[in-house]
Amino acid sequence: MSPLLEINDLAVTFATRHGEVTALDSVSLHVNEGETLGIVGESGCGKSITALSVMGLIPQPPGRIKAGSIKLAGEEFVGATPARLRQMRGAEAAMIFQEPMTSLNPVFCVGDQIAEAIMLHQNTSRDRAFKDAIALLDRVGIPEPDKRARDYPHQLSGGMRQRVMIAMAVSCRPKLLIADEPTTALDVTVQAQIFDLLNEVQRDFGAAILLITHDMGAIAEMADRVSVMYAGRVIETATADQVLDTPQHPYARGLIDCIPALGKSETGLKEIRGVVPPLHLLGAGCAFADRCDHAQSRCLREKPKLINHGQHPAACHGVEEGRL
Amino acid sequence: MSDTPEFQAESPTLEAWRMFRRNIPAVFGLVLLIVIILATLYGALFYNGDPFDIVWAPHEAPGATPDFPLGTDYLGRDIIAGLLTGGGPTLAVGAAAAALTMFIGISLGALAGYYGGWVDNLLMRFTEFFQVLPALLFAMVLVTLFSPSLWTIAFAIGVVSWPQTTRLTRAEFLKIKELEYVTAARAIGARNKRIIWKVILPNAAPPLIVSATLTIGVAILFEAGLSFLGLGDPNVMSWGLMIGANREYILDAWWPVPFPCLAIFLTVFAVSLVGDGLNDAFNPKLRQR
Repeated sequence: MSPLLEINDLAVTFATRHGEVTALDSVSLHVNEGETLGIVGESGCGKSITALSVMGLIPQPPGRIKAGSIKLAGEEFVGATPARLRQMRGAEAAMIFQEPMTSLNPVFCVGDQIAEAIMLHQNTSRDRAFKDAIALLDRVGIPEPDKRARDYPHQLSGGMRQRVMIAMAVSCRPKLLIADEPTTALDVTVQAQIFDLLNEVQRDFGAAILLITHDMGAIAEMADRVSVMYAGRVIETATADQVLDTPQHPYARGLIDCIPALGKSETGLKEIRGVVPPLHLLGAGCAFADRCDHAQSRCLREKPKLINHGQHPAACHGVEEGRL
Repeated sequence: MSDTPEFQAESPTLEAWRMFRRNIPAVFGLVLLIVIILATLYGALFYNGDPFDIVWAPHEAPGATPDFPLGTDYLGRDIIAGLLTGGGPTLAVGAAAAALTMFIGISLGALAGYYGGWVDNLLMRFTEFFQVLPALLFAMVLVTLFSPSLWTIAFAIGVVSWPQTTRLTRAEFLKIKELEYVTAARAIGARNKRIIWKVILPNAAPPLIVSATLTIGVAILFEAGLSFLGLGDPNVMSWGLMIGANREYILDAWWPVPFPCLAIFLTVFAVSLVGDGLNDAFNPKLRQR
């Protein structure tokens, strides 16, 4: 079975005052129908750029898709016409944003906003679309949906707004849902509700989810498979269980060690020293080398490739040489 | 952040209206403006008299004749009739000029701010060209090029005063287009036209509404200025024309001049109060629940 979303060797660059900076460097990943792929990594590692590339929303200029391909249901979308991209957005792939506070238009009531989204892709009357919007609000667990549909975003709580965003995203039954840190701005209790809702929606609508997060807990709860990203590259990819139980790359191990757990606290939390290097200062070697405890001279010279060295694919010379 | 909102808030428009109602000067301005508009619209029904008719001896002082409480001007025309019928054209020119200003300003500003790049460069250089021309002189040239009538005057005022609105609209668009709900609208498949007019413009509306009311005030003053200089429509009575025609005789008879001045002052004052009130009402920082 061919995957629903297939990204191959995607390279995205941005023109900055430091010259051309590579934001994504030969990123390859795929999402099968109905599954959840988690993309994990620190801020600035290229998670959101990957998501925006799939939606065709990279601001061009300064951004540029330099190489690679993005196939959605077998159709190539790198170099697609603006009209085709617009058709695809919302109908075939939809996106849920990080900040439910700011991703809804403050001057229209939420029912109208969902109805507008429906009318963009379906030839239907405004009344019909508004009724569908109320049904969707009911579906995503909003009480009294016929009343709430006439509420403005500022009248709803953060969790309710994220439910509205999810309702809007699934309104045209897209095959792919991209959730860009959908719970980062929410309370922990509400986070769990939103994850449950995403799972339900995935089951009912049969959508695949591309979940972008820096929260390993979210990965454990939601994802079937995981791609770990670092400085614009995928450095490890496997099933969620494999990555959580036997991480290969030192960075992935570091991320797992950072997860707080009850009973682990007496030694304090581990951290990964240093920060992600600025993208314009990346050298020839492994981007993680200067933060890695196991770096050797080869790591500074040569970029490791994402290859299976036994367990599952990881981009690390140390793993390849068997010293890790 | 609970899942049940603990208060029932109103729509942004209703909330703005609630704020506006609390602002006593603004409400006073609105009432004054409505009274002025009603008086100029319907005053002539109750007070008969053609403002161009010579009805009495020239320069009759106010109060001297019970038939003409505010007296007559240098030709013996009734001043009250002039005030009542002159208000309509003055307000109409002000409103038409403001509408034209907003139309040009918002269209160009929206395109420049949204598309950026060379569109922005081209439109803003064009705007700057109009901005550096002295407005009054440019308006005088336009009025004399065409024959002076109410509509050419409104046109001239509109053509010289749009650049500020363009800059304001552009600034608002530059700010709002970066917000997440604009990206979200794009991600759901909305086209540029829809994002400009249905997503960004409604959110940019508050400062533009305020600017529109203030533009009406400026346009009324502009019309009065042009009439004063003798460039008004000579066949239509307006407050500016009354001031302009009577100014030469002010040393012999002072009273024909201050009454239309007062009318202009009150109108612009009322419009400004309303504009300020709208500004406060739409400013979320001043809102308390």
